[in-house]
Amino acid sequence: MYYVVTIATVLTMALALVRALLGPSIYDRLLAVNMFGTKTVLLLSLIAFLYGRPDFLDLALAYALINFIGVLAVLEFIRQRTARNLARGENEGL
Amino acid sequence: MSVVFSVFMLTLLVITTFAIVRTRHLFVAVVLTGIFSLLIAAIFFLLDAADVALTEAAIGAGIATVLFLGALALTGEHERGGSRNRLLSLAVVAVIASILIYATFDNPRFGDPQAPVHQHVSPWYLDGTREYIDIPNVVTAVLGSFRGYDTLGEVFVVFTAGIGVLFLFSAQPRRRRSSSQPATGPIEGEGLRHYLIPRVVGRMLIPFILLFGLYVQFHGEYGPGGGFQAGAIFAAAVILYALLEGETRALRALPASVLTGLMAGGALLYSAVGVAGMLLGSHFLDYSVLAADPVVGQQIGIVLIEAGVGITVAGVLISVFHAFAARESV
Repeated sequence: MYYVVTIATVLTMALALVRALLGPSIYDRLLAVNMFGTKTVLLLSLIAFLYGRPDFLDLALAYALINFIGVLAVLEFIRQRTARNLARGENEGL
Repeated sequence: MSVVFSVFMLTLLVITTFAIVRTRHLFVAVVLTGIFSLLIAAIFFLLDAADVALTEAAIGAGIATVLFLGALALTGEHERGGSRNRLLSLAVVAVIASILIYATFDNPRFGDPQAPVHQHVSPWYLDGTREYIDIPNVVTAVLGSFRGYDTLGEVFVVFTAGIGVLFLFSAQPRRRRSSSQPATGPIEGEGLRHYLIPRVVGRMLIPFILLFGLYVQFHGEYGPGGGFQAGAIFAAAVILYALLEGETRALRALPASVLTGLMAGGALLYSAVGVAGMLLGSHFLDYSVLAADPVVGQQIGIVLIEAGVGITVAGVLISVFHAFAARESV
């Protein structure tokens, strides 16, 4: 049963990877990476049970806790870039 | 079955790597690097290397992306055109690749029980850990005690790298153009303070991330984890705070002077444990003499040096993050 779920998860990861590679916009890729991260958390938990070592769940926990920091950083990056472009545009307009 | 999974994940890894190399858009490359990190962590995990996988998780999940984006904000988003000597580079890469592939022919087969490493090295560490240190996680025992010199070297490498980055960023003083000062001033140090959902959720998560960092730090003798991973998780919590509340508030909570102290203090703590062993009449980094019972002494020594590692790693990562964020784009 674990095997079936694991195979399904791995295939979903492959599909997410396809979306991340094809794009076309940066937001498609971001969503794909986010989904890939979630699926990795699932995969790690599944493997931990598959190997019979549930104490390895620590790893999945680490991802679950800090995986979204990257997405927040992207948000902040885009926000700063937009603000800077706006400021620059205003200066040019003046 | 796990071999099938590993091969499949490795295939995905190769595809991702090609995509990273092929793309001209550096922002896309950063995003794909995130996938690369997730994949490699899963592969480490499939190979039963939980400590390495946790390191990759702690660094790759958040901090690597944050630092890459920090670098992107300072440079441009598009890669410049390739160099002219493409054939020469291709030849060099091909030669080195064939040498490396040729070198693998001498390796023992993957998982071969007759390989030399399984004949005397691994059994010695497995037995020695039980006999001298008596902790369940052999990786921590090898890193902290048996190969304590190597880990000390790694800590100093991290420390030196941090100093190097700070030095490079301080080489040129910040040029603030007076005309754009009012425009960029309030934007820079503000973070995502006005975005309600990330702020509320993030603030709720920070204490749990710190708690998890402490768990990884002090549970390293029993499960996967240790100073390197815990340091990265602490740094992730502080970086998250800086993203949510802005640079200024983060620097007020943890000033740059404190961070520099942490960088040096962790490395010093590690060395001090080593010197303490010498003063108590044994060798450098021999923890057996730290307590009356040599096994307890070893455990105390490992806990102390892991704390040193964690402090240095956290200090370096946070300082590097602030150094990136403090620079204006060129």
